[in-house]
Amino acid sequence: MARRASRVNTDEEDVELNMTPMLDVVFILLIFFIVTSVFIKEPGVDTTRPDAVTEEGENPSMLVAVTADNEIWVNRRVYEMNELRGVIEQLLQENPLGKAMIQGDEGANIGLILDVQELLSEMEVEVKISTLQ
Amino acid sequence: MRRRQKHQDDQAEVNMTPMLDIVFILLIFFIVTATFLSEEGIDMRPPQDNPNDPPPDAAPPIVVQVDGDNEIFVNQVRTDVDRVLSAVNRFRAEEPNSAVLLEVYDEAHHGIIVQIWDEMGANGVPISIQRTNEG
Repeated sequence: MARRASRVNTDEEDVELNMTPMLDVVFILLIFFIVTSVFIKEPGVDTTRPDAVTEEGENPSMLVAVTADNEIWVNRRVYEMNELRGVIEQLLQENPLGKAMIQGDEGANIGLILDVQELLSEMEVEVKISTLQ
Repeated sequence: MRRRQKHQDDQAEVNMTPMLDIVFILLIFFIVTATFLSEEGIDMRPPQDNPNDPPPDAAPPIVVQVDGDNEIFVNQVRTDVDRVLSAVNRFRAEEPNSAVLLEVYDEAHHGIIVQIWDEMGANGVPISIQRTNEG
């Protein structure tokens, strides 16, 4: 009788799923997501961006928003023009090859947008003007 | 005897279920936080300064000015925002190789500048932007 019980036991163990291949797949997925994840800091304001036909796609890692009230927003905070360089330097440290995008409101002053664009290209960041999707 | 030994071997295997749980939680975290942000935009950077002077036979540029009140002037003639392209095309009919130079006041609105830039770009008119320094 004891012998029989042990036999049932081993049978049950054989039924258990072999999870090793699944674990392999899950690990590969995990590594993929870790490598590709870039933590983007949203500017935190909505801007009414102009529409354009000649737009090109890009995957930016830095977003600078300029509102109609001519406020510069980066990472959910308002910055002055003279503070912006430090903020961008900080973002560049996290992602040295990052590209930038300026989300300018239709009513923003072009002077301010050109100022931001000049600053970014001075720091050798590739920069584009974001348009409506 | 043999059977019993086999049984012990089975138990020596490492139980991977808790590790799998942790790995799954990590995986879900990274899937949720991964934002594949793709934006669309235009490149409005001015061209690099050319150390060589432009060739003397280059056509003079068509100057499109936008002042602080968002009024547009194409070669000093006041124009509506929707008619900039036709005005530029009229000048380009005489000088087909001339480019457009956009001169903007700092107070001009971003939306208008992008609209003009986009219209020129869509029609293959070379364009560059310059700020008006006075004031």
